[in-house]
Amino acid sequence: MSLFDKFQKLAEARSGLGQDGPAPIATPIERVDSATRGWIGGHEVILAGTNNYLGLTFHPEVITAGTRAMTELGSGTTGSRMANGSYAAHQALEAELAAAFGWPSAIVFSTGYQANLGALSTLVGQDEYLLLDSDSHASIYDGARMSNAQTIRFRHNDPENLDRRLSRLGEDARRALVVIEGLYSMLGDQPPLAEFVEVKNKHKAWLMVDEAHSFGVFGERGLGLTEQTGLLGQVDFIVGTFSKSLAGIGGFCVSPHAELELMRLASRPYIFTASPSPAVIASTRKALELLVNGQELRSSLHRNINRLYDEVKAMGYELGSPIPGPVMAIILPDRATALGHWKGLLNAGIYANLMIPPATPSGLNLLRISLSAAHTDTDIDKIIKALHDLRNN
Amino acid sequence: MTTELRQEINQAIDRALASALPEMKNLDRDAALTGDIGLDSVQIMNLVMEIEDDLDVSVPVDILSEVQTLNQLAERLESLVNESRS
Repeated sequence: MSLFDKFQKLAEARSGLGQDGPAPIATPIERVDSATRGWIGGHEVILAGTNNYLGLTFHPEVITAGTRAMTELGSGTTGSRMANGSYAAHQALEAELAAAFGWPSAIVFSTGYQANLGALSTLVGQDEYLLLDSDSHASIYDGARMSNAQTIRFRHNDPENLDRRLSRLGEDARRALVVIEGLYSMLGDQPPLAEFVEVKNKHKAWLMVDEAHSFGVFGERGLGLTEQTGLLGQVDFIVGTFSKSLAGIGGFCVSPHAELELMRLASRPYIFTASPSPAVIASTRKALELLVNGQELRSSLHRNINRLYDEVKAMGYELGSPIPGPVMAIILPDRATALGHWKGLLNAGIYANLMIPPATPSGLNLLRISLSAAHTDTDIDKIIKALHDLRNN
Repeated sequence: MTTELRQEINQAIDRALASALPEMKNLDRDAALTGDIGLDSVQIMNLVMEIEDDLDVSVPVDILSEVQTLNQLAERLESLVNESRS
């Protein structure tokens, strides 16, 4: 009997994906040359699975800001926000995030995962309730486990199903926090936000929207689905990440409730970890400025999104979302077909993501393509041609 | 002794199994859902969601980690339904 016996099934699943060529899970990327070019298996590839929606990872101003901060302030803070890790720049980034939303408070976390862990584990506790969309990201489920709140799932993107669950709570619904995402990363679909707002208002519950994949992508200033739908005044908390449109690493929680500041005193994932390094904070501040003023970037991104979505739909592929978005999930009938498509794209010089159960909802096998404002028309041509060839072979 | 409520719950479990896991028939109700039957956590959560809608009861997620078999699930559902109907 070994402590490692329990991992055997996972090891078997991994070896079932084949040993030939680059691994489809945790694919080694040998080199990255730009927001859309890297090297895998000794070949140059178009990066179309990196969630680099605005393509800012190599933006000269972002690089300069990070480099300068590292030179001036050192490589790391060597401490938590509660001890020695709160620099002026951390506070400036929080003020800039809050100002972007026009809200009084924002808290920065060291990763996007920790933003959900830190917010959910602290905002709700004993005798309070968390209502989660069944397709929620692992960080939301993990935050729920850490929270001691009673956690109830509702059907994915189904406000009526949430309504039934809140109705069962009666008056206790006032102590319930509903969590949804602005864009679900597996299928790339979006919630009917206005209907969710209506349900939470009916029961006087609280609402958090995780805009990890929608921040930078939707809304005039890129603040996410909540901004795009004109509902910023109707939600209680927005969480997000720095590791997608903001091209860095970290996360945030922002709220119209000034009392959010109190969370700093109690949130273990905020308190007991090192704060983001000066370079990360500086590059994120620059990327945030570019994001808020990034109407042209968003216009390029959506042009790429709409073009690829229309073409792939016309090929007869089944897609995870009924409307176009920065994540395009192609639903394939089984694991072997999904793996074949992943390898086919790689052979054509395109890196996408293979997503398989149990990471996916409803046991689906997916080929996931994420688009960037930095993809050129030629890049999109190549992706379309490769998918067309795979469809017809 | 099988109560009327337990029968209602067992029937709801049967309907959920037929809907969420149609390929699995005549399951042993004392078999371990993950170890013996081989369900993953997502399949178990989807199964429970069908039962929740059928019985009009909410099952807190933490209960799922305590439940090993269909009979244990039925037992927990019995107390949740009793609580919600009292």
